[in-house]
Amino acid sequence: MTTPVPLEGVEIEALVTDRYLDALLAAAERREPDAPEDTAMDPALRSAALRLRDELVRVHPSFRFEERLARRLAEAAAGMRLATAVGGEGTILPFPGAAPDANRPMDRRPLLVGGAVTSAALSLAGAAFVAWRRTRGAPTDPMARAIRLARAARAVRDGTALELH
Amino acid sequence: MFGRGRGGQAAGAAGRVVPLDPDRSLVTAAQVDPARFDALYRKYLAQVYSFAYHELGDHHEAEDVTERTFLLALDALPRFREEAPDEAGPEASTFRVWLFRIARNAIANQRRTLRRHPATTLDAVGEAAAPDDLERAVLTRADASAAWAAVARLPGDRRRAVVLRFVEEMSTAEIAGVLGRSEGAVRVLLHRALRTVARDLGEREETAMTTPAARGETR
Repeated sequence: MTTPVPLEGVEIEALVTDRYLDALLAAAERREPDAPEDTAMDPALRSAALRLRDELVRVHPSFRFEERLARRLAEAAAGMRLATAVGGEGTILPFPGAAPDANRPMDRRPLLVGGAVTSAALSLAGAAFVAWRRTRGAPTDPMARAIRLARAARAVRDGTALELH
Repeated sequence: MFGRGRGGQAAGAAGRVVPLDPDRSLVTAAQVDPARFDALYRKYLAQVYSFAYHELGDHHEAEDVTERTFLLALDALPRFREEAPDEAGPEASTFRVWLFRIARNAIANQRRTLRRHPATTLDAVGEAAAPDDLERAVLTRADASAAWAAVARLPGDRRRAVVLRFVEEMSTAEIAGVLGRSEGAVRVLLHRALRTVARDLGEREETAMTTPAARGETR
């Protein structure tokens, strides 16, 4: 168990000042001239705080600047929306249905299983297609073999056959 | 999305009430659709501009910083989370504090640039070009901006703390979030700043009372 560190003199004074400033700014919202008197507050600090409240005012920019920057921000925002539309700033959306729960790893399984099944199905389909093409590449039909022999003989006769070394 | 974890843990562990960010709905809308950032821009434009102006003392520099602050904020908004260091307190986790942190960094960059490339401001040129109005200007400034001049002479973080407290009416916790300090440190900063300003103003008034004009003496 730790004991609280005692506040030093300046920290206690700072707390009193802070409490007064809170009251002073709250009084300003109620359009009151000053906060209720606090005997612990140094009168010189109180006077300075009152002057700062009255003399430090918010400065407003020109209307022209406001509208120019608004247009520039609107253009930048439109650019961001475009980037989102093409996937530049895309977000990952959960699958519809059960809400994902980060504490339950089982929630991610449907995606993995679905991907594996799709991949396996594509591989099987690919293998079947290659096998089918191979069987078609070397036809055993006698008529087809005769046509190929005739075409090869004509090429040799015309001199258009490739010379193989 | 917002304040998850930190706020919940804090509230659960210490029974501390974590206030909601009053801008949460506006921020969420702008995160979904950046065009909705306009509402946040209109709400905070004057505050950011005013902070920059009080820090830099020049309208054009303040406009540059304001523009950069809002463009950076719009760009970084998708990554914004209501988070702040523990010592800064729960009120430091708001969009407003986050925006002012961006502004503070933009002002620091602007100051560095100005130090490397010093230039006379147009405001200063305007002042020098109106000698006929000089007396009135001096009287007005001496009277109305004595407090402001005293604040301008304060060192960096004390000045920023005073401006954020009096002009932007931020709480100590919010200022702590903007300046990256603890609430206790900000309270001490403000107290010392106020003491310096009080002494400065007192000395000026004393000097004014001892001048021949103030005593009613004529040449």
